[in-house]
Amino acid sequence: MGTTLFFLTSGLFLGWSLGANDAANIFGTAVGSRMIRFVAAAWICSICLVLGAVLGGAGAAHGLGELGAINTLPGSFTVALAAALTVYWMTRLGLPVSTTQAIVGGIVGWNVFSGSSTDMSALTRIVTTWVACPILGAVCSALLYRVTVFSLRSVQPHLLRRDFYTRWGLILAGAFGSYSLGANNIGNVMGVFVSSSPFREIPLGSWGVLSSTHQLFLLGALAIALGVFTYSRRVMLTVGQNLMPLSPVAAWVVVVSHSLVLFLFSSTRLEQLLVDWGLPPVPLIPVSSSQAVIGAVLGVAFVQARGKALRQVRWNTLFSIASGWVSTPVVAALISVLLLFVMQNVFLEKVYHQEAYCLSHAALERLQQGGIDVTALEDLEDLTFSGSDRFSNAIAQRLRLTPEQSALVLDSAHLQPTLVTTSLLARLDRRILTRNQFQAVEQLVGRRFRYAWQLRDTLAVSSDSWRQRPATPVHRWHNEQLDLAWQHLWQVLQSDRSGSDGNPAAVHQNGSPLAWGT
Amino acid sequence: MSLKSFSPFGTTRELEGQIDEFLNKISEGGLSFRGGLAAYLEGRLAVAEEKLEQLSGLEKRCDALRRSIETTLYTEMLIPESRSDVLQLLSDMDDLLDGFKHSLLGIVVERPNVPEGERGAVAELGEQVIEAAEYTVRAARAFFRDAPSIRDHVHKIGFFEEESDRVALRLTRQIFASELPLAHKLHLRDAIRGIAEIADNAEGCGDRLTIFAIKRSL
Repeated sequence: MGTTLFFLTSGLFLGWSLGANDAANIFGTAVGSRMIRFVAAAWICSICLVLGAVLGGAGAAHGLGELGAINTLPGSFTVALAAALTVYWMTRLGLPVSTTQAIVGGIVGWNVFSGSSTDMSALTRIVTTWVACPILGAVCSALLYRVTVFSLRSVQPHLLRRDFYTRWGLILAGAFGSYSLGANNIGNVMGVFVSSSPFREIPLGSWGVLSSTHQLFLLGALAIALGVFTYSRRVMLTVGQNLMPLSPVAAWVVVVSHSLVLFLFSSTRLEQLLVDWGLPPVPLIPVSSSQAVIGAVLGVAFVQARGKALRQVRWNTLFSIASGWVSTPVVAALISVLLLFVMQNVFLEKVYHQEAYCLSHAALERLQQGGIDVTALEDLEDLTFSGSDRFSNAIAQRLRLTPEQSALVLDSAHLQPTLVTTSLLARLDRRILTRNQFQAVEQLVGRRFRYAWQLRDTLAVSSDSWRQRPATPVHRWHNEQLDLAWQHLWQVLQSDRSGSDGNPAAVHQNGSPLAWGT
Repeated sequence: MSLKSFSPFGTTRELEGQIDEFLNKISEGGLSFRGGLAAYLEGRLAVAEEKLEQLSGLEKRCDALRRSIETTLYTEMLIPESRSDVLQLLSDMDDLLDGFKHSLLGIVVERPNVPEGERGAVAELGEQVIEAAEYTVRAARAFFRDAPSIRDHVHKIGFFEEESDRVALRLTRQIFASELPLAHKLHLRDAIRGIAEIADNAEGCGDRLTIFAIKRSL
């Protein structure tokens, strides 16, 4: 318990850094344009952040698991510390950085240090959003600004009344943005600690119970709020004043655009709504609020360019912010590697567990069914490799595979012995698993599985609720929910494994091996 | 930010009302000045004194309104980006009213003897000055609702200011070309200058309003 609490401190530090930095994305323009006092903004932001983290943060807990699965608590601590140090350092320089970028950098650093292969398709997708997000923010704000200006010119409200509406608009948009930030980013801050939460459930009478995860998120959210109060003022002023002088109306447009971009890319309900209407769904990708807000400010600048406002953009500031986006993941990765080395060799902590890979007969059969010619791999049958890098190299020497095929080979060979126990059932969250899904898991009590995919396949055979549907937009919602359910089950299974068989690989903190259908 | 600012429209409506009342008083000041000047030129001194009293009352009320508006704008943190412009505007408008009052006060107290032949020109000068002030009030109202139309009003202010300058110059030439004693001439010149200065102040206010409008353009 004490050790876990100590390891939590790096998550809290990261939370503090996130609060110090990301609150500026939401209220920076409002505070910078002096529409809202810093203290008022900090209170609104903190309260909504905490609400978002506690009430809406559960779904985001799986975070960046696809990129790399950090599998020891000291490893999680170190990566979170590396990300936090990076964000803190950039924040000290007054630059708005993306916490997600810092964590991505930290995880890639861990992958390099532990000899794990980085899922390049996941990394590419995340990096693509770093380009797409500011562009979308700019497009969104440019359109919204035009509409707003047209409306204001048509209605011509009194200056004071316009000020009144703008102020309330900023407060509401800021509150919405803060809630979204709390819900989306708490997973980045505390997600790695969920399965080892030291807290116990607290009954709240007729209100239900405050689960250990909620308590963990509450703690993380309070750390974020502390960061907002103690250190966000300077970054707020960078976003609000230094990049370009903004009128309060423009500030409102920026905040709304930023929140819309985040909502667009993270709302499964919106996606489902689009599918129901027969419209193409928006891909759900984790995006950076820092990039969205900078893009939105530039969008307003481009619309105002007809009035020569583009000249008001402080390009030096913009350049230093953009360079921060490039340097953040690199610096975080370097710090991560350095800290992992220190942690392992000075403090003698196990920062990663070497994952094992073995192409058994069953695994080779699965590959064959997946359309891979396994003839060249037969000499590897039943050989065990430690570390995904070595295994990947051995495969690469024999076969030329596409990224999807490589992912399938890694998934098929990844040894993750698992035992389904009754204690597992007690810890499953019935809000995430449907009744049918729960019953299907219940039927497997006492059974052992060598690979994760064997458990998945067994579940899919036993119940339709665990079966993936064709990858069409209509079934996307079902498949996404299935992913969430699997990730939750796997997380609980992994923590259970540590208590049941004493396997050092047990503490598999972050994410599942591979999502369904990948 | 106090709770008062969160009360829906409470402070905003009150402040809007105060600003409207303030501008109405400035406009009324022009009408009182017109009445006072006309009464003086017609020799009805009691009426002129009465109009001067009215102007003093308007000035007091405007001062009170201005202080109240200033205090509310600062304490409630309203219109941060335009606050200084609004305060400057109110100050300029207050100066216009002061100009009306001081000009009429000088005339009523010092009682310059306007020759019969120049009375029409003095009344005309008064009209030009009042028109300039009236368009300044219109421009000020536009600042709060319809900033793009400020330019039209400012153009009119400029026109009437030029007209008042032209009339004032003609009057001064005529007075100094007359056989009146020098002291009398200088006395009349000061009175004319006092009236014409109101239009100059209106023009200055109009110029600043143009800048405020550019700053407020979306």
